[in-house]
Amino acid sequence: MERHSLYKSKLTALMFILPTLVILIIFLYYPTFQTFKMSLYRVAFLGLSKQFVGLENYRYIFSSPEYRKIFLNTAIFVVLSVVISLVIGLFLAVLANQKIKGKTVFRLLLIWPYALPPAVAGVIFLFLFNEQSGMVNYILKHVANIALPWLSKSYLAMGVVITAFVWKMVGYNVVFYLAALQNIPKDIIEAAKVEGASIFQTFFKVTLPMLSPITLFLVVTNTIAAFFESFTFIDLITKGGPADSTTVIIYSIYRDGFEYFKTGLAAAESVILFICVVILTLIQLRVSRRMVHYEK
Amino acid sequence: MKKILMALMAVLTAFSSALAQEKIHITFWHAMGGSRAAFIDRMVQDFNYTHPNIEVKAQYKGSYRDTLNSAILAYKQGNAPHIVQIFEVGSQLALDSGIFMPFQNLVKPGNYALLNDFIKPVANYYRIKGNFNSVPFNSSNPILYYNKSLFKKAGLDPENPPKTFDEIVDACVKLKKAGVRYCITWPLHSWFVEQWIAEQGALLANNENGRKARATNIYINSKPMYRIMKWWKDLYDKGYYAYSGKPEDWDGANNLFVSQQAAMLITSTSDVTILENAAYEHGFKLGTGFLPVPDGIKRNGVVVGGASLWVTKGHPKKELEAAKEFLLWFTNTENEVRWHKGTGYFPVRESAVKVLKFERWFDKHPAYRAAFDQLLQTIPNRATQGALIGNFPEIRTIIENAVQEILAGKPIKAVLKEADRKADQALKRYNMSVR
Repeated sequence: MERHSLYKSKLTALMFILPTLVILIIFLYYPTFQTFKMSLYRVAFLGLSKQFVGLENYRYIFSSPEYRKIFLNTAIFVVLSVVISLVIGLFLAVLANQKIKGKTVFRLLLIWPYALPPAVAGVIFLFLFNEQSGMVNYILKHVANIALPWLSKSYLAMGVVITAFVWKMVGYNVVFYLAALQNIPKDIIEAAKVEGASIFQTFFKVTLPMLSPITLFLVVTNTIAAFFESFTFIDLITKGGPADSTTVIIYSIYRDGFEYFKTGLAAAESVILFICVVILTLIQLRVSRRMVHYEK
Repeated sequence: MKKILMALMAVLTAFSSALAQEKIHITFWHAMGGSRAAFIDRMVQDFNYTHPNIEVKAQYKGSYRDTLNSAILAYKQGNAPHIVQIFEVGSQLALDSGIFMPFQNLVKPGNYALLNDFIKPVANYYRIKGNFNSVPFNSSNPILYYNKSLFKKAGLDPENPPKTFDEIVDACVKLKKAGVRYCITWPLHSWFVEQWIAEQGALLANNENGRKARATNIYINSKPMYRIMKWWKDLYDKGYYAYSGKPEDWDGANNLFVSQQAAMLITSTSDVTILENAAYEHGFKLGTGFLPVPDGIKRNGVVVGGASLWVTKGHPKKELEAAKEFLLWFTNTENEVRWHKGTGYFPVRESAVKVLKFERWFDKHPAYRAAFDQLLQTIPNRATQGALIGNFPEIRTIIENAVQEILAGKPIKAVLKEADRKADQALKRYNMSVR
């Protein structure tokens, strides 16, 4: 069988991808390999001294109640923030997709938080939820005469970091949902209406299935963002507190690696995170084949 | 005559340019940002101007932790900076890293007078097993700041701040009655816990606070610790103590005090200048006092906080000599006075304190007096020497987590027991990694 190729020889093709390959190897594959290797050592001082300990770092992580709590925190954070940011994102996108006056302004405003650097967003939320001088408690005090310990109660603190993350992510989801909504052929919706479907029926039976490819894409990207980009919010707003109740795995990796000099443990945590993300992505892709409605 | 002068000038120029070619380059990494960085730069410029054969380059490297991380990485790659500023609790870590050399090895006996001039408690902290491993530079300790105007309003003596835990509680009752929102604040930071342990003459780690031999056991589940936590929890439950809800939030505590929501603040002496200005801007009178201590115990004093300057090993002899010369100049009496006035950090030399007293500096800035007297009155012993623990940053988080759990309502004894176990385990793992 003869293959039609754009390039005369494989070498030419290789030459074209070489720069990318070199960059990937230096900045991605080699560090990944090093991380895997490092996770098998007990490392002191960023690698100044190390000794091989096999899987001891992993054994420690899986047997320690502190790390189990960190995994649980991560699961809570990721699941809640992904679900909430997708639901709100879709809701807002549907609203912004209506034929209303000034819809461009609304769309712009909805997308705007995403353009904000995470550090700035983090500081805004820190100011909002400061227990004594924050805006939220100030308003609560005047309206209902209560003030909540936003950052010193564990579930409230988790709520605050999830809120911050969701607020930041919603704009991104709105953009994609808006584009997807506008791509749904009008005749399908009209056909449903003619058949006598209510607005809710149309939405849940027609619109939502048509949005499933983009939803899947957003679940993957939001999950990855929740794993990795939560760092800024947690570092700025709670520092993992109170008593480690908002410490998620990415924050723990940073602390172990760069504050406590436990490079080996941090490497092992990174590997675990890496495996988690790979597995989740595989599951999502598999689910997609069965559940997602792709137009041909 | 003119000709001779011209010739002399020519010779001199040639000579100095020859010297210029042989300039020794020294790099100095520090963790002092903002106005403090500019201040260090000015001092370094002066040194370079007066020492034409040495060129020191000072670089700001971020936080203390970032600075230490960068130094270790640079050493691994073979271009370590000559001088690194390291925070006090990083001392054991710096020793264990093995990339530094004891400063005292560089100093000739003729210069020992310069070493003996360091204030006792400061020398006590940085002299490890009899030797200065590093040069003390910026040092601070916690004091009580209070709002004299609010004190007056509550009928308290504005010249006589509370000195003990119970006196704080008594003052709080009155302040609350006078309508102050919160009575007292300080950052939820392990540093204060460590200080209160030292004030009680107690140790934080075995082997004499890790000074005699490597520490292998952390004392968190102890009576002195219980005393601190009990008081702290009571203050919190009664609404006397407030913090922003975020651990290690120094600015949050300062804001509560400056906005007059809290009448008292416990924080570092290095904030005297900042708080003096803030009090003036917000129209209240600032007072300072000693760190309050538990009742019925002898006041032992405070542990020196701050940072010291370390020299990395493996440089040519000429460069090490130059680094030493710079360090002795940088921390001399004149510069210590200058550094203190510019930043609020303490001068770490006896002679510098004398100069300041002679200049009547404390009459003009009475807020500094408590900071000085507290340090000078500290009894030198193992407790006030402070603990040397390799994984101190991690131990601090464990202590801070324990405090947060206690404030959230968990029983104090159970929390301390659990924290003690965690700390010991973490220390064991650290000690294994440096063996």
